Amino acid sequence: MRADSYVVGIDVGSSATKGVLLLDGQLVSTFMLPTGTDLNATAGECIEHLLQSEGLTEKDLMYIVSTGYGRAQVEAADRTITEITCHGRGAKALAPRAGLVIDIGGQDSKVIRLDEDGMVADFVMNDKCAAGTGRFLEVMADRLETSLMDFGRMWRAAKKPAQISSTCTVFAESEVISLLSGGMAPCAIIRGLCDAVADRLLGMVHRVGLAPDVVMTGGVSKNAGVRLSLEKKLALKVTVPDLSQFAGAYGGAIIGYELARREYAQGGLR
Amino acid sequence: MTPGGIKTRKSHGEIAGETRRIRIIQALSRKNWVHNVAELVINRMERQGWKPYQIDAIRCFADDFRHGYLKEKPCIFTSAFVPNELIYGLGGVPFLPEAASGFAASFGFALESLTACESLWYSPDLCSFHRAGVGASVLKLAPKPAAVVVSSQLCDGGKRSLFQISQYHDCPFYILDVPYTHSALALDRLAKQIEEAAIGLERDVPDLSRGHIDKAFANSNVARNCYLDLCKLRTNTPSPWRGSEALNYVVLFLWAWGSPWLAKFYQSLRDHAEDIIKSGDYPVPNEQFRLAWLNLRPYYSPKLFNYLEDTHQVSVAFEEFSYMYWDPLDAGDPYMSLAKKIMANPGWGPIERRLDVIDKIVREFSIDGVVQFAQWGCRQYNGAASILSDYLRKKGVPFLNLDGDGVDVRNSGEAQSITRLGAFQELLESQKIKNSR
Repeated sequence: MRADSYVVGIDVGSSATKGVLLLDGQLVSTFMLPTGTDLNATAGECIEHLLQSEGLTEKDLMYIVSTGYGRAQVEAADRTITEITCHGRGAKALAPRAGLVIDIGGQDSKVIRLDEDGMVADFVMNDKCAAGTGRFLEVMADRLETSLMDFGRMWRAAKKPAQISSTCTVFAESEVISLLSGGMAPCAIIRGLCDAVADRLLGMVHRVGLAPDVVMTGGVSKNAGVRLSLEKKLALKVTVPDLSQFAGAYGGAIIGYELARREYAQGGLR
Repeated sequence: MTPGGIKTRKSHGEIAGETRRIRIIQALSRKNWVHNVAELVINRMERQGWKPYQIDAIRCFADDFRHGYLKEKPCIFTSAFVPNELIYGLGGVPFLPEAASGFAASFGFALESLTACESLWYSPDLCSFHRAGVGASVLKLAPKPAAVVVSSQLCDGGKRSLFQISQYHDCPFYILDVPYTHSALALDRLAKQIEEAAIGLERDVPDLSRGHIDKAFANSNVARNCYLDLCKLRTNTPSPWRGSEALNYVVLFLWAWGSPWLAKFYQSLRDHAEDIIKSGDYPVPNEQFRLAWLNLRPYYSPKLFNYLEDTHQVSVAFEEFSYMYWDPLDAGDPYMSLAKKIMANPGWGPIERRLDVIDKIVREFSIDGVVQFAQWGCRQYNGAASILSDYLRKKGVPFLNLDGDGVDVRNSGEAQSITRLGAFQELLESQKIKNSR
């Protein structure tokens, strides 16, 4: 395989599409844009941006792996791989000591236990419900007229969390309205919401088995409030790598690079 | 034997879900000419090259349905684990509302049945196999029962929903209260209950008589022998039969023991599997992995299995519900023999019994991974998921607990299920690579 072999991993999520470009297995650039209604077009736009940023064309690309809920729609992909495998590999690359990955995306959440080689040993996903996902938090942030990025600051400002008993997005929203009308401070509600998400994840974590090095990936990893709730409940430090939102795409690109090398060695790629 | 003489029947007004097409099926299913036409259609299917085992299965159901809908023989509703040799042995035909729910889902009638059931105060949180069974019965999609017989295993919801059906149709209800632990006393107690139920059915339902028990037992034993041959053939790698199809025919496994058609069906199927192995024309030709499938499957869509079997060449090599767990029946001591059959069910009693069977399936069928279809509302299986997961993990067998619903499409996220199955296949792949190093 040539030394200038570029590989792309593309993660078509429900909220955002993320792309990672590798050169000879090393990360070169990343790009993220909102996922539109045409998943294939969004993926194409993402790939185009990655190529342009390095002055490349499609001909320079050796391999493309797509992942995420829209993975099957990416026509340019040489291979589709599930987000569970990709997040596991990406998280291990971003945080080499990772033993357990908690990925919270727009429409689902997953907990992945890795073996010593960084391969998926076990995993569990949330059930068919938006509770505990990025969408849940977005709805609540809208209702509280605040930004997701502000959750960390507000979490810290809360003396104690409000009790959010419902796990359903719609019911939780009406519970938030009741709490607000009862005079509860928004920061306490936000801490309560983050605790509710963490509680749901806690059950999933213990299903696959807690490992000491916990890494958080996906869009919600950038929400400091949820991370703080998780750390408190797990009594562990949770690592959030800088490129945590790109873990799926990065994992896909790494696997793509390995597959390209294998196929090249077998004479399938030139 | 109606418990406490409770009367829950009420005068129902309009049943929700009774659409025009439901009314058409209600009417057609009770017409003699429709059953005659069905026979002609089956004959034509046979001439058109349908496989003999498929024809035998259709004939088995067509025969029972004809007798049941046209009231040619008393139709006795039974819960999933009642030994139906008892019903055939009394000269009746069984009808399993839980199994019929799978049919309703396959033919696209489940939603009406579920709606009808929910209009009778059933919570959507309950198992949809029971809800759709009750709904189909009150919508008269099912034949009218002459009596209802249930066993207390495995599902609590089963006996209560069938009790409601008996109340709705104002017919006798018999319950076999199956002891949880094994002992000679437990067997005696159960055998006595079965005998009492048989006497009661003979007394309460015209045209039932215990004169056919020998024949039903002989049919059951012949079918059992053919079935064991088939199971042996299914240990072959690659698998000679699609697991997705096997999970469809689980309905027959639950339904037709004692019917003359069942032996014919398993003979044909055994011959088919033998032919496949001889010809090498396997349904999943490049079999990559072999799965054991626990509990049932979604019956309204083939997508999950197309994804496994066709896209990824992953076979479902054997199913928990296909496991043969009882000894040959003894017509000389029929009630004790049926009691032993009921008590041998590995899904009843301490969890260790079920784990032992799963372990045997894993070893005998060279299983790479185990998938439990976590049926929405299924208390007895979902309640044991963590024990099962720990047990298999200790044995180094990958396990996936796959949330879903076999009948109610509203409780299933097909894309999510496909992602989970895809990730499980990738997990098996990475373990294979790791083990080969």
